[in-house]
Amino acid sequence: MALLQLEKERLVWRARQLTGPDHRRQSSFYPTLDAHLQGGWPQTGLVELAYGSAGIGELRLLFPLLAQAESRLQVWINPPAELNGQALAQHGIDLSQTLLIRCQNPQQALWSAEQSLNSGCCSHLILWAPGLTAPQAKRLQVSAKGNQALMFWLHPQAEPSTSALPISARLSLAPLATGLRLKIHKYQGQWPQSFCQVDMHELWPSLAIPTHLPTHHGPAPSSNIAALPFKPR
Amino acid sequence: MQWLYLYFPNLQLDSLLHQQAYNQACVLVDKNEVVQTNSEARQLGIKIGTGLGQAALLSAQLKVIAYEPKQEQRLLAQLAQRLYQTSATLYLDPPQGLLLQTSDMLRLYEGLAPYWQQLQQPLMERGLHYHYASAHSPLAAQVLARAGNDRLLTHQGEATGLLHQLPIHSAGLNYKLCLQLERLGLNTLGQAQALPRSALGQRLGQTLVTYLQQLEDSSAPSRPRYQPPEHFRQRLELLYEIEHSTALRFPLKRLLSDLEAFLAPRQLQAAGLILGLEYREHTSERVYIGCSDGEYRAESWLGLSMLRLEQLQLQAPIIAISLKTKGQMPWAPLSAQLFEPLGGKLTAGQLISRLQNKLGDHAVQQVYLRDDHRPERSFYQGVPQSSYQAHQATTYLRPSLLFTLPQALNHKPDQQWCILSGPERIQSGWWDNVSICRDYFIARNPTGQVCWLFRTPREEWFLHGYFS
Repeated sequence: MALLQLEKERLVWRARQLTGPDHRRQSSFYPTLDAHLQGGWPQTGLVELAYGSAGIGELRLLFPLLAQAESRLQVWINPPAELNGQALAQHGIDLSQTLLIRCQNPQQALWSAEQSLNSGCCSHLILWAPGLTAPQAKRLQVSAKGNQALMFWLHPQAEPSTSALPISARLSLAPLATGLRLKIHKYQGQWPQSFCQVDMHELWPSLAIPTHLPTHHGPAPSSNIAALPFKPR
Repeated sequence: MQWLYLYFPNLQLDSLLHQQAYNQACVLVDKNEVVQTNSEARQLGIKIGTGLGQAALLSAQLKVIAYEPKQEQRLLAQLAQRLYQTSATLYLDPPQGLLLQTSDMLRLYEGLAPYWQQLQQPLMERGLHYHYASAHSPLAAQVLARAGNDRLLTHQGEATGLLHQLPIHSAGLNYKLCLQLERLGLNTLGQAQALPRSALGQRLGQTLVTYLQQLEDSSAPSRPRYQPPEHFRQRLELLYEIEHSTALRFPLKRLLSDLEAFLAPRQLQAAGLILGLEYREHTSERVYIGCSDGEYRAESWLGLSMLRLEQLQLQAPIIAISLKTKGQMPWAPLSAQLFEPLGGKLTAGQLISRLQNKLGDHAVQQVYLRDDHRPERSFYQGVPQSSYQAHQATTYLRPSLLFTLPQALNHKPDQQWCILSGPERIQSGWWDNVSICRDYFIARNPTGQVCWLFRTPREEWFLHGYFS
């Protein structure tokens, strides 16, 4: 393959030419994130998200993307709790294209992920798994790339895997008052960036801490409770 | 009318030996008498009618299998099913014969030779030994085939000539009648045919007269002709016992290729297969292999079956397997997207079937909504269905991850927590004994997790989910 061709497909890139959004990215629907990732999530490949502890907004980061998906399957493998259909539907996710897989052992989870990607009928795959070895990550990355699928690998560690896995992106998430703070450890096709603040306040106003209140002490719950006594039964 | 008779003297034994390479002497025995032999046994001098004791003396390593008329009848029906693709009118003649009406088919195949070539192919595939003969009447064809004639005769004269020379004891008459005829000095069939019928009838009974008449009668037999079954069902006896489920691959492959041969010409496909495993101790097990989109190709079915069989622990060695279809439906080609550059290798249904066969039916689910205010009952997980009923979601904000069992909090949320919204009271379910009365709050804990908490009337606090 000629060097020009490689450069055109951004397999080789020049550090000084970081201009303009890449056409092979898809918008994450968070403007700040799109700006930092030069256009958004990769079209295909494997993205690692280290979220630390569940419930900080790790899925809300993906919902706008998943809501835009075409008519291919979205496969969720081994979520840490029940996947609430009401919430998914509220966020605009097509439940008829959502498949939920629960596996007893990690090997089966990886097998399911690979099968789903290789089937060609899966556009997004979200896998919760404690760890991937380099060969496993490579296989999933190749499967995702070859079948036009984007796979997110979520794990509850604060930092992404230390080994240099052959994947498209590695990010770690931390909570902020109004959203998430992303640390971009690796992103194929560009220099690693330090931090990026994703503001979720506009999409989920009721889940962000009101700005006029200090973070560490909110209103005492007891004040609300007093206003609404339970009926004696 | 022209008739062709196929005679399979070793039907059960041939079918049994064909699937497994076995090169030792092997016989089928019925009531202590050898009824079918393979070529190795014949070389040792074991003949049809040899006693079991004598046969055992002739070969120490002789494999003896019981003759089963029912099994042989099943094999004959399977064979008829296969030959039905070549020849339209055929009659079963149990236990070992098939009668085919050829005259109608010759126009299609443009002659006897191409037709015969088509017929031979499935017989060779199955490794069957056979004798055949064609003649002007069903009985004449049968008699000539059983006598081992192996010739295709187109003119009535040739067949009559052969019948004339046929020794009386190979004419298929019963033993007593043969003896009587031979005592009269009638050694060939032609000699008997030359005599006046009425005199023969008076002396030797009506049976012989009917027989002689039928030899010349070219009309079709009075019994109903073969009708192929509507559903596929087949059983395969194994020569060896199989102890590992993965070793079932090869016998299963044979059944599946028969399945394909059954479904493809009918433009059908099966949504599921029931694989019956028969264990040595007369117990059996049924394994269901599903493919919701429907499939007819043996190769795809083999892949799906092996995924399911890998999970299976066999209780005992297997001696026979059977296969039948569940849910046959017309084959419809899956319309590929013209402008889809990716070219999906599988459809969603095929992927789901594959996952289900490997992981079990309950591991692969879809999420369905339900009208209920109780959060844990407002959705449920079920087996994926091809048609999904859309449902309106609630307008209240709900967490994306919900615990099946709410987790008790040790102490009520303190100053470190930040209540973002609430309370939202959910009091419901008094009619079906799963009543709940809860005040829900959305709160953010010191770690930054957005939690869905609730408080019961007894001031207990629970964590029910995360707004992930």
